[in-house]
Amino acid sequence: MSRMRPWCEAMWAIIRRDAILFVSYRSQIVAQFIGPLFSITLFYYISHVLTSKTIHSPGGYFGFVIVGLVIVQILTISMGVMPVTVRQELVSGTIERFLVSAHGPINGIIGTMLFPLINAIFSGALLLTLAAVIFGLPLATTAVLAIPVALLGTLAFMPFAFFLVALVMAFKQASSVAQFIVASIAIVGGLYFPISVLPGWIRWASDVQPFTPATDLLRHLIVDTPLAHPAGVELLKLVGFIAVLLPAGLLLLRASIRYGQRTGTVAEY
Amino acid sequence: MSSTSVSAPLSDPPCPDDSHGDPILELEGLYHRWKGPKPPVLDDVSLTLRAGHVTWIGGRNGVGKTTLLRLAAGILLPQRGSVRLGELTPQSKGNLFRRQIGFLSAGDRGLQARMKVTQQLDYWARLAYVPRSRRAALVTGSLQRFALEEFAGRRVDRMSMGQRQRIRLAMAFLHEPRVLLLDEPRNSLDDDGYRLLNEQIEQAARRGATVLWCSPRGEDRVVTCDASYTLTDGHLERVL
Repeated sequence: MSRMRPWCEAMWAIIRRDAILFVSYRSQIVAQFIGPLFSITLFYYISHVLTSKTIHSPGGYFGFVIVGLVIVQILTISMGVMPVTVRQELVSGTIERFLVSAHGPINGIIGTMLFPLINAIFSGALLLTLAAVIFGLPLATTAVLAIPVALLGTLAFMPFAFFLVALVMAFKQASSVAQFIVASIAIVGGLYFPISVLPGWIRWASDVQPFTPATDLLRHLIVDTPLAHPAGVELLKLVGFIAVLLPAGLLLLRASIRYGQRTGTVAEY
Repeated sequence: MSSTSVSAPLSDPPCPDDSHGDPILELEGLYHRWKGPKPPVLDDVSLTLRAGHVTWIGGRNGVGKTTLLRLAAGILLPQRGSVRLGELTPQSKGNLFRRQIGFLSAGDRGLQARMKVTQQLDYWARLAYVPRSRRAALVTGSLQRFALEEFAGRRVDRMSMGQRQRIRLAMAFLHEPRVLLLDEPRNSLDDDGYRLLNEQIEQAARRGATVLWCSPRGEDRVVTCDASYTLTDGHLERVL
């Protein structure tokens, strides 16, 4: 525990730093709260003109898509923000603090991911609350169980963020790749529509990433959408993806930092 | 620390016998080459930094002083050669190595612009794994040593360049490192700031730390030094 304490205190310092930065831009807070409201309103009215036999959520398409929106929100904030944040650290030279600190560059970069992830989960919860309170989305009694699953899902998303950050460390840019990844996940992960409507040749992509089981489980727990497979199987799939992808993501991040340290490009931007 | 003084800023100081004092940081056979068809910026550079000593390295712009300091700090890893702090190297037990290093980069970067000065120092103390029991005292001490008390509650981006440089110096010295690596530390400092910097360097040397000061101009060097070098064409040359 005594060895973990300085590590935890350093992580907390980074979270607090990012929180201070976030609240110092007040318009950013307002935008983050108002933005989801527009998305919910848009999809609420779209759901009124949509009828589909492939959607079995009690809340109809609105219930189905709202969970997708929560995940898009989490992906956009976490994956979209992450490479930008690390790039800003490079440009402002603050990444050098990690490179010369006892905490080290890898822990430092993981630390910079924590506030965006906490913020993303908070925003997702806010979006669901607004949908329930303003538009009458019927939440399942199991909705509270979505919290641990969302945390697991976040762990499953992190390797993709590590990949993007590794790109930033090696090549200094990754924003366009982040947009591409989020858009691809939205399609093959079934965030806006059921994957059953995808053509057969692309449907395999839904099975080889963690977003599909995470989305299916969250939909099941939040709006009671029936699962194609038992919940235990979906959970095992998610844990399996984490077990494989998380160490791989960390190794990639470490390799990109070491590459930059050897070539000298780690301090470039 | 020796009592050798550099009275004339641009003249080279007489260098005393600097073989006393236990070696702290040992750079051996360092080689670094940037991408492209260029000669190596550092070629077989060796240097031993000893306890209680202040060392100055000069050289024209772009000669490789910053690269050498970054290698010494473990920010860059050697393409050839080694950096050792006793048994520690940046590659193995890197966090223990980095705990012993205080680093000031050239320029004015590396500050969290929208944090207040005290928050900035506390943030750094936590990253440096300063024990909780000592943290508040070291942060307060740093504010005092660099005369920053009156700005403690001010945001960094609302401060002058010289004041920011004092914060950056306070961070480099805060955790009482055994090795202080300073890249153009006099940058933007007024006379008071320069005096405070020299006092802190003398104090650090007295407690047994080693200080490496790099700057392109002789007049920027510290008032007293134990060894002076210039970096030319990838090689370190002792200044006589």
